[in-house]
Amino acid sequence: MSLAEVCGIKEFDSSFNSHTIYQNDVNNLCMNFTNNLELGVPPFANPAENLSRFTKDEAGRDIKMKFDHGTTTLGFMYQGGVVLAVDSRATGGQFIGSQTMKKIVEINDFLLGTLAGGAADCVYWDRVLAKQCRMYELRNRERISVAAASKLMANMVYNYKGMGLSMGMMLAGWDKRGPQLYYVDSEGTRTPGKVFSVGSGSIYAFGVLDSGYQWDLTDEEAYDLGRRAIYHATHRDAYSGGIVRVYHMKSTGWILIDNNDCNDLHYKYQEEKENLENNV
Amino acid sequence: MSILAYNGGAMVAMKGENCVSIAADRRFGIQAQTVATNFQKIFEMGPHLYVGLPGLATDTQTVMEKLRFRKNLYELKENRRISPKVFSAMLSNMLYEKRFGPFFVEPVVAGLDPKTYEPFICNMDLIGCINLPTDFVVGGTASAQLYGMCEALWEPNLGPDDLFETTSQALINAFDRDAISGWGATVYIIEKDKVTIKNLKTRMD
Amino acid sequence: MSLLARPHYPDYSTAPVQHQFYPYADNGGSVVAIAGDDFVVIGADTRLSAGFSIYTRNQNKLFPLAKTTVLGCSGCWCDTLTLTRILKSRMQMYAQEHNKTMSTTACAQMLSTMLYYKRFFPYSISNVLVGLDNEATTLSGTAKRRFTKLGGSAGALLQPLLDNQIGQKNMEIVSKEPLSQEKALKILKDVFISAAERDIYTGDSVFINIITKDGIQEDKFELRKD
Repeated sequence: MSLAEVCGIKEFDSSFNSHTIYQNDVNNLCMNFTNNLELGVPPFANPAENLSRFTKDEAGRDIKMKFDHGTTTLGFMYQGGVVLAVDSRATGGQFIGSQTMKKIVEINDFLLGTLAGGAADCVYWDRVLAKQCRMYELRNRERISVAAASKLMANMVYNYKGMGLSMGMMLAGWDKRGPQLYYVDSEGTRTPGKVFSVGSGSIYAFGVLDSGYQWDLTDEEAYDLGRRAIYHATHRDAYSGGIVRVYHMKSTGWILIDNNDCNDLHYKYQEEKENLENNV
Repeated sequence: MSILAYNGGAMVAMKGENCVSIAADRRFGIQAQTVATNFQKIFEMGPHLYVGLPGLATDTQTVMEKLRFRKNLYELKENRRISPKVFSAMLSNMLYEKRFGPFFVEPVVAGLDPKTYEPFICNMDLIGCINLPTDFVVGGTASAQLYGMCEALWEPNLGPDDLFETTSQALINAFDRDAISGWGATVYIIEKDKVTIKNLKTRMD
Repeated sequence: MSLLARPHYPDYSTAPVQHQFYPYADNGGSVVAIAGDDFVVIGADTRLSAGFSIYTRNQNKLFPLAKTTVLGCSGCWCDTLTLTRILKSRMQMYAQEHNKTMSTTACAQMLSTMLYYKRFFPYSISNVLVGLDNEATTLSGTAKRRFTKLGGSAGALLQPLLDNQIGQKNMEIVSKEPLSQEKALKILKDVFISAAERDIYTGDSVFINIITKDGIQEDKFELRKD
């Protein structure tokens, strides 16, 4: 004790008492409660590469730590606004963890976000974004523009660039400047555009989407195009499937068009195809 | 990623009362990409003998051709039908020949003995270690899911109709939780007097 | 020649040996939860193991957090201990600050946020949080799984059976009757018996919590012990 005093440590007792340690623990393991942008620092450098070296037990057996992945999402602008369509499958490795995941996040009445990539990354950062958009609204008495919201998102994840975050999202909204569609990813890319598709099944979705896309589509045609593009992606891509969800962003806010099980869609489209062939 | 999971596939065989079943999915994929949905993984090796070869698709076909060749030679030489037991031993030996550069298939054999019509099922690993259980065998990328399903659904002395229902339910529900198998299924019910082949309507995603 | 003949004594070796820190362990275990209209049942096996050895055959992996909220954990046990300790403290802080207990949905969100805090050095646990929602009569007892998803050691074995029996997947004749508590318990027991047959990390016995608006009722049944 006297040594501690000689060394100038005044509060020797308090800093080592179990109550304080416990208190620190409770606070230090939940730092993101007070500051959403602050995540725990790993006890090793470069987590994107090195985390995998630690996911073994003493015997060298692998600790299964598979994050949910795999998706097909798409969004496009046309004369009636923006259409978003997504699948609903979440896979950890080859195992299908969920067939009913919601991959469109309703940030507010005029802003929708889609998720692709790491499920946890998308869900967490979308929630942080939703909070910040609400704060903006309360402070400025008007809704945040889609450009600003997407920039907030891009800047937040840019801080963690190279740490292994994995997300590719589309932000669709309707603000003072009309309908908007942005693509933002975990590399920090942020770009506006008319037609996007993101995820492991995007190559298949693009095939359908690009061949059927026109600016002058009617609402029904647009929904059907989005639905078909996602359906064909779920058919060819192992990591996409489940339910096809279609949303429409209008000047009056977003509406959910419908949710269709891929199973029903498959046999419906197959029947349509057979009828068409019989008529020829 | 394991070579055994490059193409994906699920396989199950079950014993019933005087009958056996063998069933597989119909997907041929390359990793995440589904290339075809009419791929054959179960092959007829005699009137009451079927072999399923889940694993790497190229080896599925190579092993099938080699097996057919050896089986034909056996039947010409012996002038009698090969029994499932002998066939399995032959397959096991053939796989072990390639002990240090194996074929990437995990075969499942199902059939009835040509003389006694005794039900027979077995599976083996990719270098030919035979496993002869009394209830069911599974193989392919959805094997964990299949074990869970079969362990709960299988019961002794199932008749052909019940065996068909049990096998189909076990297979479909199992591969619906596996990303790289599914896209249709084929079920074979092997009885003394007839073999019933049915293609099942399943999810196609 | 002499090199070949020299015997090899690893204890006296002077060659450099690389040591590495392995922070994670897989202690196995499976958690299953089934929700009905006005109840939830959750079960966890009681085997705590590491590799091929068993630490204990009688470890409760269910953590009652509030009157109608229960958390089931499987995976790395040391992570589980820390996580549940912090979670309980946070729930107490919430209760004292707001003068009410946390709802199940709020608890699920908090758990998700806490798990994400450790994004770069995750808790290696699969969590199943169940409970009743605010009205305490209708369902919200869905299994919330976010972030690290191990599904328990027998997750892949159990899930398709639950899809079939509870989700009525791939069934032609679908029963419209709501799921009864007796049926849910029966299926819960069946899936654990199946899992214990094939998963070496699941066995011994199962602890069950049945959550209704009246509170949590405990139950237990035996599994195979080999």
